[in-house]
Amino acid sequence: MPARSLLLAGADERDLTQLAEYRAIGGYEAAAKAAAMSSDELLAELSAANLRGRGGAGFPMGRKASLIDRASRKPKYLVVNADESEPGAFKDREVIARVPHRLIEGCLIAARAIESTDVFIYIRGEYLAEYEVLERAVDEARAAGLFGDVDVVVHRGAGAYICGEETALLDSLEGRRGQPRPRPPFPPIQGLYTAPTQINNVCTIATVPAIVSMGAAEFAKIGPESAPGTAIFSVSGNVVRPGNYELPLGTPIRTLLEEYGGGVAGGRKLKALIPGGSSVPVLTPDQIDTPLDYDSIQKAGSFFGSASLIVVDDRCCMVQLALRAAKFYMHESCGKCTPCREGTRWLVQILTRIEAGEAELSDLDLLRSVCDRILGRALCALADFAVYPVSSYLTKYGDEFRAHVERRACPFGDASSIAGITAPIDQHLHYPTVEIPA
Amino acid sequence: MTASELVNLTIDGIPVQAPKGTGLVEAAAAAGIEIPVFCYEPRLGPPVGACRMCLCEVKPGPPKPQAACTLTVAEGMEVSTALTSPLAMDAQNSTLEFLLLNHPLDCPVCDKGGECPLQDLTFRFGPGVTRMAFDKRTYEKPIPISPTIALDRERCILCYRCTRFSESVAEDGQLIARNRGAQSTIATFEDEPYRAAFSGNVIELCPVGALTSVQYRFEARPWEIQNVPTVCGHCPVGCNVLATTREGKAKRILSRNHPEVDGGWLCDKGRFAYTHLYAHDRVVDPLRKIGVRRFDELSWDEALDELERLARAADGRVLLALSGSETVEQAYALSKLVRQGFGSNAAVFPEEASSALDAFRLPLSAIHDAQLVVVLGDEPVVERAPVVDLWLKAAARRGTEIVTVGALGSVQRPAGTAAQTARELGDESSELGRRLAEADRAILIWSGPGGHGGVHVAELAGRLGFAAKPGCGAFYLPATPNGRAVAEAWAAAGKGDQTRLDHVGLLLVSGEEAAESPRIRELGARADAVAAISMFADPLRAWVDLVLPGTSYLERDGTFVNLEGRPQRLRRAVIPPAPDELAWIAKLAERFDVELAPYATAVHAELSPLLFEGAPFGALGERAELPPRHPVALPIAAPAPAPAATEHGGPLRLLRYRPLFSGPAVERVPELAFQRPAPEIELSTDDARVRGISPGDTVRVSSNGTSVELRARIEHDLVAGVARAAEEFAGALAGAVEVSRT
Repeated sequence: MPARSLLLAGADERDLTQLAEYRAIGGYEAAAKAAAMSSDELLAELSAANLRGRGGAGFPMGRKASLIDRASRKPKYLVVNADESEPGAFKDREVIARVPHRLIEGCLIAARAIESTDVFIYIRGEYLAEYEVLERAVDEARAAGLFGDVDVVVHRGAGAYICGEETALLDSLEGRRGQPRPRPPFPPIQGLYTAPTQINNVCTIATVPAIVSMGAAEFAKIGPESAPGTAIFSVSGNVVRPGNYELPLGTPIRTLLEEYGGGVAGGRKLKALIPGGSSVPVLTPDQIDTPLDYDSIQKAGSFFGSASLIVVDDRCCMVQLALRAAKFYMHESCGKCTPCREGTRWLVQILTRIEAGEAELSDLDLLRSVCDRILGRALCALADFAVYPVSSYLTKYGDEFRAHVERRACPFGDASSIAGITAPIDQHLHYPTVEIPA
Repeated sequence: MTASELVNLTIDGIPVQAPKGTGLVEAAAAAGIEIPVFCYEPRLGPPVGACRMCLCEVKPGPPKPQAACTLTVAEGMEVSTALTSPLAMDAQNSTLEFLLLNHPLDCPVCDKGGECPLQDLTFRFGPGVTRMAFDKRTYEKPIPISPTIALDRERCILCYRCTRFSESVAEDGQLIARNRGAQSTIATFEDEPYRAAFSGNVIELCPVGALTSVQYRFEARPWEIQNVPTVCGHCPVGCNVLATTREGKAKRILSRNHPEVDGGWLCDKGRFAYTHLYAHDRVVDPLRKIGVRRFDELSWDEALDELERLARAADGRVLLALSGSETVEQAYALSKLVRQGFGSNAAVFPEEASSALDAFRLPLSAIHDAQLVVVLGDEPVVERAPVVDLWLKAAARRGTEIVTVGALGSVQRPAGTAAQTARELGDESSELGRRLAEADRAILIWSGPGGHGGVHVAELAGRLGFAAKPGCGAFYLPATPNGRAVAEAWAAAGKGDQTRLDHVGLLLVSGEEAAESPRIRELGARADAVAAISMFADPLRAWVDLVLPGTSYLERDGTFVNLEGRPQRLRRAVIPPAPDELAWIAKLAERFDVELAPYATAVHAELSPLLFEGAPFGALGERAELPPRHPVALPIAAPAPAPAATEHGGPLRLLRYRPLFSGPAVERVPELAFQRPAPEIELSTDDARVRGISPGDTVRVSSNGTSVELRARIEHDLVAGVARAAEEFAGALAGAVEVSRT
């Protein structure tokens, strides 16, 4: 069997943003194949593939699609969540910028599976270049008559992280203030414009053509049984070669970090691993052999999240890192529900005091208590996302927090390597294509 | 309710049975268990789960506390509130801790203090001490979001009740949430004043002191006030209200939710216009005209002597002009005095009234559940009976089809043709008429002038077979709060047919509306003498010889019959500054050997057998019931002549209307000035184009030798051939008007 990757396959050799190039490598053949299948057959295939949502929650895509009430008299909608805003995540961006037609093809197949004719791709407002690529690709595919009775609308967000939460995304798409809705009703029952709605992440949908062309059985052989397929892992932080790497799920963190990422930058010692974007609990260096799949990471005490590995070396101040995360989630809290709106602001106030060396030891207990009082109390997961970094850093790096209090100053100060914990602007251009053993 | 539709659950271990679909908060309340809430308010639409005050432990379910407000009862559900669950207790305590983090501790000077849900719930579920040691969030405050409402953003707990009201109840969309996260604030769109008919409801909805009434600010504390349950007297809906008084003065008006009448909403006129009680020209002593515009005070004895003298001098040629805002008891007493004492059977009424609609009675709340509602007439419902507009909006949201037929309707018809439309709808060839006849729950509403007090619409309802269908009904929106009952009280107060006077010896004007009516003033100019009963002196100068102090609906005991035909009880909230009408009418009646009691209860006892089938005053209760339907032999109304068709570019038919924010009371409330209409003439897009008129142009509107200059407004919903102007700006214009640019 020849070497291959699924999502980014062919993108190294050709400019797959061009329809002709994409068709030259067999593009839209899966859509044609799907067009010959009934929606029941397609749903069965997607369910059999056990493709788990790449947006973070890992809910099986086929099962989600089966929840759509296809008998409803209302229209059915397919919505693609391309509002990628998690600090550390830049995988969707890569897919949109380099293989937009694969995403569009996935849309056509998934729409057929739920008998929808209306697809919305909600793209993060800041992704302007990506939006232009995608819009061009949509126009090209439409002009080529590939859409049939389906239409695809690309909608730009207006810069709110919360609109990556699926129900807030729906509100925003409807023209409202983007705020999460209570669930139930869940979107497959009552989503966009109160109609049955399927919402999936970019990478989930972009994987669909591969499933249809190779067949669910073949797809299920890639990666672990509990979560087949590949993921694009965004590696960032204090690492030699930050970038996107498409690897089968289940690849150990060590492989991703050392073989692909080139190890910790500057030969420094590894201090912390954040496996799923800034919102998930931190892992410690001794957990470096954890396989990168939903179940294994959860067992290790964190979440697969957005498949974004943030590498933290030993010079980085964990209080500074917690404060940065807390500030982000405070800024992005939508303001709808109380624990998140008020609690995130309080967290920032307490962490600021600790970092400034003005806190007492009792403030650490207060910080812990506030985390506990936010966690699981809000309407959506954003509040929890604000808590996970803070509480997990406090648990696992408590000595550093106490050192701030005892020394009445930050032990790292300006020497902290936190400046390196960023997603470099050009790192999405830095990727290798990975061979997947057949 | 069959057993299969009931589900069994436990709340704090107590077995509870509730119909499927019941909200958990309601089911708990019915079982006597409180689940505390801030954002939850079923009248605002589906729950939003924002405040997190109602967190409870629910099994089966995830191992974290659930927002009870977004859950409905389910078979086998086990709910533990803060009473029994440490988890729920901690969750609710946390929510309050978070809410109080940035909430100012200004309860001692906050209007809400003492009747504040945040205070109450903090005492019961909240932390006793604060752990907040940082600077609180501060904002500029208070911000007047309108001349009637002040916003304190520091006190706001962002429950979004007010914005949800604006968006999904009043549908004015003016109140919004701005910014994000901890910086979220309530604001008006583009910082414009919140100018909408129902804006004041957000004050009552606010669970903290963030939205307060400018009129009530710093006026009273909850422990030194009395709330008197009465009925609003500003329009024929008769919304149930609480009048808050302190030291004998009215301080504010709150809604008193009659679920069949007002659903707990109140328009801004009903809420804010009460300060007319303290108007600068309030009449507190009898007055006699001396000189051209001056009045001199009289003692009560002198005043009654004078009125007796004028009545006797008129020698039976007394004409009583009624306003339609009198209580049934006042109208009856006055009518009895005039008819049996002064010996006159002449009266003028503010509008036509008819009992024909009694055969098609329904509560206003039936609009909400109707399948089809047809509104006939040329005036927006909100101008005549504001809360009915909210019922219509709620119905539309629920899925009711609402068709408005008229000059401003969704189906456009020339002005003044509602009677024709009614006849057409009764015809078998009408598609809409057929659907009305076939529906189980269809409602007709007549909103506009004409209609003979409801005769036309009743006739249509009769032809559509509504009398036999309990779900179908018809409403007529009168122009006065109590006009029909006032006319009936007159009819009941004496014998003999109504007479027409060629020469009026004494014109007796009752009420402010009659006193401001040009028609009545014209009659006064031809009368030998004019006496008026009114609250306000200014409109009476120069033409009224004797003034007797009038009272407001807030100062009266008595009965109003609303547009549904529901008799409702007014309770005196405030002692009037002068003896009330019944007291001196009874005294004067004695001099004419007419027996009249000086109290509403006694007058009611006398008139009840004639008007209310003997129902005693005390039986009206705080939330009055709608009397059953009465079969009515339908009168056949005289076919209304079709109005002359207007030519393109020719004269336009003038549509005068009485705006919601107008009238003697509103004119005396400075806070409501911003709500009053601008001096404008509304033109259809077509008519404006033909005349080269752009929005904002000053135009001359003329008819019959008089003319007025007004600003042009282009109203896209207005039918061509019509010019629409508020009564107060239309002057003496009438009939066909020429409109041209100046």
